[in-house]
Parts: sequence; C-alpha cells; structure tokens
Amino acid sequence: MSDLEQLMTAVPVSRRTFLQGSTMAGFAAFLAACGTGGSPAPTPGGTNITGPLVWANWDAYIDLTTDPGPDGEEGTDDDEYVLPSPTLDEFAAEYGVEVEYANAEIEDNETFMATIRQQLDTGVATGWDLIVLTDWMAARVVGSNWAERIDPAHVPTAIANVRDEYKGLEWDPDFEYHFPWQSGAVGVGYNVASTGRDLTKVADLFDPAFAGKVTLLSEVRDTFPLIHLMLQDQGIAASDHTPDQMDVADCEAVHAFLKPYVESSHVTGFYGNEYLAAFAAGDTWASMVWSGDLASSGGEDDRFAYPEEGSMYFTDNLLIPKGAANWYTAEKMIDWCYDVDRAARIAAFIYYISPVKGVAEAIVELDPDAAENPLLFPPADVLEKQYPEPAWDDEDVESEIKDLYADLAGV
Amino acid sequence: MFQRRRWLIPWLLMAPGLLWLIVFFVIPNVQMVIMSLSSGTLGTGYRFTGNVGNYGEALTAFPTQFRNSIVYGGLATILTFVIGFPLAYGIAFRGGRYKNILLFLVIAPFFTSFLIRTISWRIILGESGPVLWLGRDALGLFPDNFTILRTPLAVVSGLVYQFLPFMVLPLYTSLEKVDFRLVEAARDLYAGPWRRTGAIVGGVFGALLGAAVLLGLGYASIGGDGTAVLVVGAVVVGLFGAAVGGLLISEAFVRVIFPLSLPGVFAGSILTFIPAIGDYVNAELLGNPRTQMIGNVIQSRFLEQNDYPTASALAFILMIAILVAIFIYARLLGTEELSGGR
Repeated sequence: MSDLEQLMTAVPVSRRTFLQGSTMAGFAAFLAACGTGGSPAPTPGGTNITGPLVWANWDAYIDLTTDPGPDGEEGTDDDEYVLPSPTLDEFAAEYGVEVEYANAEIEDNETFMATIRQQLDTGVATGWDLIVLTDWMAARVVGSNWAERIDPAHVPTAIANVRDEYKGLEWDPDFEYHFPWQSGAVGVGYNVASTGRDLTKVADLFDPAFAGKVTLLSEVRDTFPLIHLMLQDQGIAASDHTPDQMDVADCEAVHAFLKPYVESSHVTGFYGNEYLAAFAAGDTWASMVWSGDLASSGGEDDRFAYPEEGSMYFTDNLLIPKGAANWYTAEKMIDWCYDVDRAARIAAFIYYISPVKGVAEAIVELDPDAAENPLLFPPADVLEKQYPEPAWDDEDVESEIKDLYADLAGV
Repeated sequence: MFQRRRWLIPWLLMAPGLLWLIVFFVIPNVQMVIMSLSSGTLGTGYRFTGNVGNYGEALTAFPTQFRNSIVYGGLATILTFVIGFPLAYGIAFRGGRYKNILLFLVIAPFFTSFLIRTISWRIILGESGPVLWLGRDALGLFPDNFTILRTPLAVVSGLVYQFLPFMVLPLYTSLEKVDFRLVEAARDLYAGPWRRTGAIVGGVFGALLGAAVLLGLGYASIGGDGTAVLVVGAVVVGLFGAAVGGLLISEAFVRVIFPLSLPGVFAGSILTFIPAIGDYVNAELLGNPRTQMIGNVIQSRFLEQNDYPTASALAFILMIAILVAIFIYARLLGTEELSGGR
C-alpha cells in the first residue's frame, strides 16, 4: 500500500465528512473493496462512554425544547420546537458526552439505507451510532448481520420495561439487535381550515374539491395498503387480502386507481415527513400521514383521523449499525430512553405510541390530555381495523411493486 | 541533470488535477459503465454479464422524463439568456464604477446552500407566498384556483434562478471586451437608425422565444383540453416578445454587439444547459409527479429501487447525449475562445 493510500485510509469517516456527501465514505468503501485494508477492525462494545454519540432519526420524533417565539410567551401559537431535546441534554450531562442528533435525517427507509448500505456491505463504519428503521427494514438489516449486538447487561431498564406486545418478533425475538423506538399509525391528515370539513375516510382524499392539494406517502408500504383498504371498502379491490397479504395483483389495482388522479394533478406529490412543511405553507390540504406528526409539529388546524376503512400500524426500531464508533454509549442511550418517565415525556411531546411499560400511567401526571389522546392510546374500534405493513420480502415481488410506485411518482 | 528531467515539470504540475480526475471521474465512470452492463439484484449482488438490455430499457421506459429534461433544460437556457443578456449588457456598458458590486450581486446567492435556495422557492411560489398574494389575491390577475408550486413553471423558475449566474458571467466577459467605438462606427456607416432589419430580427426572435417558452411550459397538455388556451397564450406571449424585441434590438446590436458576444453566448448556454438537463433537485422539490426529469429517475433507481444497472445506463446515456449536443453546438457556433484559439 502506498503512503498516499495509507494517508487516505487513515482518515476516519466521521459524520461530518459523511454528510458532506458520501464521497469520502464511498472512496473508503472503494479502497476496502480493493483489499487495501480500508475496513477498520470491529469496534469492541467495551464499557467506556465515548462520543460524540451520533444519532439519525426521523423528523418530529423526540421531545424538543420549546422556544417561546417572537412574543416571548410559552404556550402561544408562535411557539417553535427546536433542538436540543431535554432527553438528550440530560443524557449528555449525566454521562459527560456530546450527542449529535440529526433530526429529520431519515425521510424514508429506502433512501436512508441507500446512503449507508455500501459501507455496511463492505464493513466500513457508517458514521452513525444509532439509527431508527421501520420493522421490515430493521428485519433486513438484522438479517444481513449489519447491526451490532446489544449486550443485555448494558440495557437492564430496556429489558425490564419493554412492553410484552413487542416481544418475540420472528427476526429478533430476544432484543439482541434492536429495541422498539415508537409505534404509530398511517392515516389521513388534513387542515380543517382549508378543507372546510372533517375527513374520516381515505376516500375523502379524492374529493374533487381538494384537487391539486393532496399528497400521499413516499413509503409504498403505507400508501398502497391504505388505498387497498379503501378499494375493499368500496368493493372494487382485486382481492380480500389484508394489507400484509397484498400481492402484485392487489398493487396493480391500486396503481390503476391512483394513476388518473396523478395524471389530472389531483395528487401532486409523494412525500415523507416533508409534508409537514407543505401543510404549514398551505400547499397541502390533505394527505396520508404518520399519526403523531401533525399533533406535535403541525398547525392548530391540522388534524389526524384514523380512516373508517382501516389503518396501518408500524414500529420504528433503534439499531446500532455495524462498526458504530460509540457502541456502548448507544446502548446506554437506548437504556436511557426506556426509563418510564422519560418515555412518557417523549410520548407526550411527539404523540406516538410508546413501547415502554407504564407510560400510560406515568403520562397522566405529566399531561392528562395526552393520557386520553387516541394517538397515543388508540381506541378498541381502531385497533380492530389496524394492520401491519406488508413485508414484501421476495425481491421480484418487491421490485415489481416498486416499479408500480415509481410509475406513479413519475420516476 | 535538470535539463533531462524538464519533461517531468508539466506532469508534476498537472498531477494533482490528474489524480483528482482519475479518482473521482475516470474510476467512477468505468465502474458505472461496468454496472450498466451488469445484471442481478441488490440481494444477490450484481455481476457483469455484458447485458446491453439495460440500455434498451433505459432508452424506452422513460420517454416523459427524457422529454421533460430536454424541454425544461432548454427553457431554462432560453430564459436565463433572455434575462441574463440585458443584465450582462447593462453591467458591461453602463455599470461604470458599480461594475464590481453588480457582479458580486450576481453571484451573491451562491453564498447560501443550493438546497436552502431551492426550498425558499417553495415558499416564494407557494400558497402563502408573495407571488400568489400579489398576482392572485391583491391584483386578481390569476384565477382563484391558480397555483405555481408543483407545476412546470415552478420547476423552470427554479432552474432559471439557479443557473442565471452561469449565463451572466460568461456573457459579461464577452461583452466587456467589446470596444464600443465599433458600435459608434457602425451607427455612422451602415447600421444607423434608418435601417429596420435590426428591429425585424429582434421582433422575430422575440416572438419565437416568447412562444417557445409558453409552449414548452404547457407542452404536456397539448392535444388535451388545454390546447386552445395554450395556443392563445403562445400567440399573446409571442406578440409581446415581438414588441419587446422590435423596440430594443437595433441594427448595430445585430451586426456588431451580438456577433462579438457569441463566445459568451456559447459558454453561458452550455454552462446552463448541462447542469439544468441533469438536475433533479428542482423537479423533486418544486414539481409534481408529471414534471420529473431524467435526473429524478436516476436518483430513484439508485436510491429507492436499488436498480443500479438501469440507473448506470441512464447516467451514461445522459452523459453521451450531452457530449453529442455540445459537439453539434460547438460546430455551429465555433469554440475559438473556449479552446484558446485565435
């Protein structure tokens, strides 16, 4: 190996260089692929707190600081929510380590994974210590051996407090590689001032009055099943499959239904969390959304409805990607967030469903309204009609379905 | 001793640049070509199979996006030219001691990130933005359901804004070199105000450019319900362009200034057209599913569909297409200035 190459491989792939575009990471991966020794030795878990802890998460997914806004008063309309987050700050103070939390780094599973897949594949550190992925993608990451093992001795609180419903998953039954972060639902979001009425069904998104102001989700596992449920409700679906059983034919029926609405610009986009900005600007009136977002980060007229046709639920999971530099610190962070009071505080802020036992009780004291909130504690009639997302593990099936989606999204 | 090694000096000087190009241009491109001829999936891995079918698929499966790229890239080039030429002309001939400040203002937007600027355009063109407030709510020029965001107009506006400096700076460089005494001489000798050809040429080009812009923006609706509206619009904008062109363009401009500025026109339009045709940020952030460009397809194939072979084939086709276009264009307009001739 030449001196130059040595020099270049000695440059660690930190988050900054990573964020400057994955050029450097790609280069390191390239060197690794050439067998010049670009891949670092596996970092031992150890028991030393190291930092800074680098965490990639979705938008509106942790408790934030309330900035009182121009009027200087908290609790008014112009309040803004900004980093830092109390949970992260207290962790930093307790352990004397810096936390770099990348809010809204993850817009959808596929796009985020594409930025780290090559590093994981070639054994180069991704630059992240904690990432948050939805069930089906988390299962693949664990299945590909791309996640570091979580030592149960380092996460006693999490082991003790994780709710029983989350245990025994096929892809990681004993929490060796993941812990649930939050669960939520996919339903219909709308700005009631713009729509002028309450929306209760998926079908309401296709009201001609909202033409040009409707968006759907770029996560195909959310968009297609929800439309499929609607088609079933209207009796025009291709089959009576539940969302997790959907096959290519079902998706073709969904595609056939949606295509004219895209052609006529009734549906004007397929968004991830960026729908929050579109709602705020008034460019989107109604959309498929993830349940807690509008309640925590939307305007006062933004509403969420569990659609009458049924809804989807998902769980996003904490994972420590292979090669994480601060593995032990990441384990401590997982444990930290599983403390009941902290979990309750996070839940009361972001309006998603917490996987932590005792949150339902702890939240009463913190925020009595949240304790009654159907977003955090979905009522029985909603749960009855709620389904998990399809896995679409077969590559050919997945590829055909993605092609259908790409055709709708214009790419 | 030194004499014999002299041949090394240019290589040493070029070494950093060459190394850079080899690592970040040649190697990735070779990888890309290999990938474009491979088959397989992300799960099973990609293997080189010499599969030229990827090119067939890439060429036939995305006609709309190829068309969008060419039309929007072309419109962006035309509009940056129409906006940029008077600007460069003004700075070069009337800038006086403010020249440097004015040039600085042209590139000032580059001090902010590309993404932030594009996202700002969402606000400017959006429902609660100033354009609709003024045009629709205050003056009532547009109908109530008129929107700009998520239309071709928004995508082209974004492109024009992003690439305007790339057009203005080369134009300025060319115009700045024009000796204004040549224009005065031309006015005295053969291009005085009594000659009307300048106005006619200006009028015709103004009309063509105006009509082209409107037809380009609305080309997707040709043949549909909007055809009549579009044709009327093109005629109106064309007439407007003709009037403006006829009033502003003089004989001396056509016969002296414009020919002397051709190297700038060439460089500026290439610097605008190439990045504009491959851009995906503007279409992604400002457009809708029907205004996606070929760059969006490449991005999605790479990042979302994990279809690396087709993505690579598309990227390669785009590169070749641009090279061919430049070659033809260079033949037509000449490249002495660019290649250091003269």
